[in-house]
Amino acid sequence: MIDCINLTHYYGKRCIYENLSFSVPRGRILGLLGKNGTGKTTTINILSGFLKPRSGECRIFGQNIIGMNPELRRDIGLLIEGHVQYSFMTIRQIERFYARFYPKWDKNVYYDLMSMLKVAPNQRISRMSCGQRSQVALGLLMAQNPQVLILDDFSLGLDPGYRRLFIDYLRDFVKSSERTVFLTSHIIQDMEKLIDDCIIMDYGKILLQMPVNELLEKYRQYNLKLTDNSDLSGIEDIFHPMAMHGNVEFGSFLEMDKLQSLLQSKGIKYENLTSQKVNLEDAFIGLTGKY
Amino acid sequence: MFYKEWIKTRWFYLVCILVTFSLCGYEILNINRLVSLKGASHLWEVAMFRDAIFIDLLHYVPLLVGIVAAVVQFVPELVQKRLKLTMHLPQGYVRSLSEMLAFGFVALLAIFCGNLVMLIVGLNSVFAGEIVSHIILTAVPWYMAGLFAYELVAWICLEPVWRRRILDILIAVACLRVFYMSPLPEAYNSMLPWLGVVVVIGLALPLTSVVRFKEGRE
Repeated sequence: MIDCINLTHYYGKRCIYENLSFSVPRGRILGLLGKNGTGKTTTINILSGFLKPRSGECRIFGQNIIGMNPELRRDIGLLIEGHVQYSFMTIRQIERFYARFYPKWDKNVYYDLMSMLKVAPNQRISRMSCGQRSQVALGLLMAQNPQVLILDDFSLGLDPGYRRLFIDYLRDFVKSSERTVFLTSHIIQDMEKLIDDCIIMDYGKILLQMPVNELLEKYRQYNLKLTDNSDLSGIEDIFHPMAMHGNVEFGSFLEMDKLQSLLQSKGIKYENLTSQKVNLEDAFIGLTGKY
Repeated sequence: MFYKEWIKTRWFYLVCILVTFSLCGYEILNINRLVSLKGASHLWEVAMFRDAIFIDLLHYVPLLVGIVAAVVQFVPELVQKRLKLTMHLPQGYVRSLSEMLAFGFVALLAIFCGNLVMLIVGLNSVFAGEIVSHIILTAVPWYMAGLFAYELVAWICLEPVWRRRILDILIAVACLRVFYMSPLPEAYNSMLPWLGVVVVIGLALPLTSVVRFKEGRE
């Protein structure tokens, strides 16, 4: 449904990434995870047609987003970072405005969500809280009834209650009829409850792309105590070892016995090797490092 | 699109109508006051032999109105890059922007035409047709400057790169200066058709900024 092929982009001479490729199949929710500056917003901007990449292309419904038939955008819902909407409009006015553009518009979905906010239809959006505005933006997306949703940092500025509300509604909406979603968020706990697949980006490249369940199943956080002056950094399959008073913490996709064999083959002396499963946030930090 | 632009700018245009028509009315009342004080023949003499046009107060009013109209209409689109919402609508972005520009341009044109009609009616009660024509032809470039200022400020507001925006401001100031170079009445008569062509072509200027916005220039 969404295909990005060999994307390369630079800001001036700074390379954001080269030959980045990924796909989002129909009915899947894919979350893009990465530290600040790794190119998440750049990717969203390219994907939504607001940035022309240096090379490569993004396709949605098989059409290059640059030069896409504008009518196809009826089936693409876009949430801009910060739940930006026309804040000079009221709840009723904005619904009327958008309804003219979308043949599948379902105003009942929108007004059902608005009734939960307990705000009057003539309430201006600029006078609403950030959480309420997020619900307006979500209500408009749901009323549009698109097949593909692109959500840029949907949790920005929301308190835990509104984040949970947003996720619950969004998940229910998406799963009800096989919609495809590409999203980013800086709060990874939220993503864990929502996404099927994840892409973890590092500076200039994709670190991994896999289903979240598989990642959480395979990824382990290991702890051990070094009994000599060995250094684990630079060993393939061991991610970002952090040493403190001889105790080392690191992540790996290797199972315990294979890790032990690896350490043995490298001549590393250790004791008290333990492993544990982690949540998505810890896996993300383990894979990308704290710095 | 007209619905959105109307909601965004209606209060501005209401104030704009009140202010510009009040100023026109003030100028007409002022002329009538002079007639009652000094007699119509004195005013005719001043108009014919001293090139007085009696509506100098309106000199920069259309320019200011054009600038503020563009700011009121396009700055909210740039806050938080809200223009993305408009450009994501399922119609061509050139069409979306053209509709936005058409709304502002037609609204200003209607107000300016209304102002000129009010002036013509008011002046006709005091002056001969030739003098009225003399005054109106002197004022027409001011109103054209107002329309052109609207287009130029829209072009500047929509430009995504700040450095380029500063260059655009300098170009805009130079372009608008052309409309105010000569203080002589009817100095622009022979140029009016060309200024009209410039104003029409100027409608394409904001489109160049939007193309740059769409390409993600920063």
